[in-house]
Amino acid sequence: MTTTQERIQLIAEACSHDEIQQWTGDITAHDLHAWVTNELGSNMALDAFLAHGPLQSKAIAPACILHIVSGNTAHAAFQSLIRGLLIGSHNVVKIPSAGLAEFTDALEPFPDALRELIEIRSSLEDQEKSRADVIIAIGSDESIAAIHQHVKPHQLFIPHSHKVSIGIVYDDFEAAAIHAARDVSLYNQRGCLSLHAIYAAGDSERFADLLAIEMEKFSQSNPADTLTASEAGTIRNLRESTRFCSSNGPEVKLWESSDSLNWTVIHDSSALLKLSCLNRCVYVKPLPSELDTAILGPEAKHLSTIAIHPFTQENAVSLEHLPAHRICPLGQSQQPSLFWHHDGFAPLASLVKWKDIG
Amino acid sequence: MAQAINGKPISGTEFNALAMLVFTHQYQQNKPYQNFCNATGTSPEQVSYWHDIPALPTDAFKADALPLITFPIEAIQKTFLTSGTTTETKGKHHFNSTDLYDQSIINAWHELKLPEPAHAIFLIPHPEQSPHSSLSHMMGVIAQHIAQGSSWATDETGSLDLEKIINATKNNQPVALFGTALSFLHLFDSIESPLQLAPGSWAMETGGYKGTQHQLTKSELHRLFETKLGLSSDCIVNEYSMTELSSQFYSRGLNQAHQGPSWTRTRVIDPITNTDAKPGQLGHLVLYDLANLHSVMAIRTQDLATQDLVTRDQTNLEVSAPYFNLIGRDPTALPRGCSRSSDETLSR
Repeated sequence: MTTTQERIQLIAEACSHDEIQQWTGDITAHDLHAWVTNELGSNMALDAFLAHGPLQSKAIAPACILHIVSGNTAHAAFQSLIRGLLIGSHNVVKIPSAGLAEFTDALEPFPDALRELIEIRSSLEDQEKSRADVIIAIGSDESIAAIHQHVKPHQLFIPHSHKVSIGIVYDDFEAAAIHAARDVSLYNQRGCLSLHAIYAAGDSERFADLLAIEMEKFSQSNPADTLTASEAGTIRNLRESTRFCSSNGPEVKLWESSDSLNWTVIHDSSALLKLSCLNRCVYVKPLPSELDTAILGPEAKHLSTIAIHPFTQENAVSLEHLPAHRICPLGQSQQPSLFWHHDGFAPLASLVKWKDIG
Repeated sequence: MAQAINGKPISGTEFNALAMLVFTHQYQQNKPYQNFCNATGTSPEQVSYWHDIPALPTDAFKADALPLITFPIEAIQKTFLTSGTTTETKGKHHFNSTDLYDQSIINAWHELKLPEPAHAIFLIPHPEQSPHSSLSHMMGVIAQHIAQGSSWATDETGSLDLEKIINATKNNQPVALFGTALSFLHLFDSIESPLQLAPGSWAMETGGYKGTQHQLTKSELHRLFETKLGLSSDCIVNEYSMTELSSQFYSRGLNQAHQGPSWTRTRVIDPITNTDAKPGQLGHLVLYDLANLHSVMAIRTQDLATQDLVTRDQTNLEVSAPYFNLIGRDPTALPRGCSRSSDETLSR
């Protein structure tokens, strides 16, 4: 169906609806044109043979993409689907068996011409998996490994496994705390781009104190989701374990929302990166003079995004040695640019193959 | 305390009075726990009911630098470790003597009228092979004080010795098999045809599957007991405890509630409100164990359970250790459990 130009118009129109825009961000036709051009060399690359050195080449989209998405948030599902739609592939989206209502419900504004390219499944037969040319899997390391076992030699496999993001604050604690509270709290920390820990230069305990104030403010204007008994129990356990440590030494200190589980801030003098138990629980740590993977520990290899404040080219480039694929301004960790390389992959270019003439 | 744990049930009033004494003792002698209590704003002068004794999360036992003991550190005679992978931090429960611990095992057995095994077959390592396992220690106490005869059916590498199990079941005398749920699965996988156990035989299983590749419901496990060992559900006892405790809780049959001896109490806490869950409402289990005299008696777990309405006396105290319906380890909690430790051994 359709040309790239037509699909761009349809996607931009769909993404102008609030239900979708809350997950995709504000995407215009101009943005989409620029994105395709940037990744494929021309916004006509999928529609015609274009000069490519001595050859003429055309980008060929996979006939069918299988997106296996997790239940954490609808963001990744939308990002992956928009990429598949933009290049004109048929998209089978495997949602968790328990459903992903915030994704499926928000598909309503998509026009029929795009809906025809979308198939939602809560379960899949083996033959349906083998029908896909590309399998994009989003989930835990265990889920990704299980899916990988079923990938056939002819299929392209793009995994997005367990990821963790952190913040680094060099200065300007008051403004940084406002940005950090947003990056920690949005979507209740369920995404790969949610911050689990923030490293602060200087008086990191003071930053934790300021962050606690901003977490409370954010919580009042953006109440947290209702917690399950398991989620609440995990937070209670973290708080009581932290209380035990903090009552027995200065290495750990606890700030918590009173009479609720709305937010938790833990100052921990160890630089070892620990996973938060999610739902607005965050560690604040002193920024070591050298921040490297040895200091961060085993979770470092799962780094996705480092959100920094103040955001300067110099600060960003100084973190180049860390395994994260994205360094962004604090306060924007949850809103990656359309152009970002998701886990290091060029999102459109990695999906297409090329056909040459000449 | 030894007098309270003597096999004769203690009343609700006696439990509460003893709990106050134990709390005062632990608050005074166990500095890390005292600091925790102070952080919660609680001291013995403010507490008159065992419910209000601050419960320590099991993770606190992982803090090496903060041993949870009421005696000098140099008096440590025995340490039980929680199970887990080599990279996980293990919890440590220290003892200056296991006399009270052993007494708790033996007297709970009698108080709760558990069946006394003629011949016990243990599918877990002998205490000498696994000196830091509280489960192996418990089995050693059963072998020494409760069973009339015993066979340890794991070899020095921790693998099941099938021949020994088969030989122990051959003389047409009732036997009792003790093991983790995972060790029983390994046994079921190992035997081609069902074992013929003499009438009067029974089994005790403990632990879950979290952190392993196994997923089995309790009824599926019981079905395997039936087909592989000829044991019906009412011949299967489940034991629930943890390294951080000194007493055990038992149920018999499928979907039956657990109960501990009279020197224990349980609460099910709604983690959202941090108050008692309503009868039948799912929550996290908090355990109170007077036999934990030399560490901390009130332990907060990440195990999910429900509890029915508790029977109280005229002074509004529980008349006995209440029953609770164990659901299992909270799926969001990190893997742990003695069943997995056994699985790692058996998988080598």
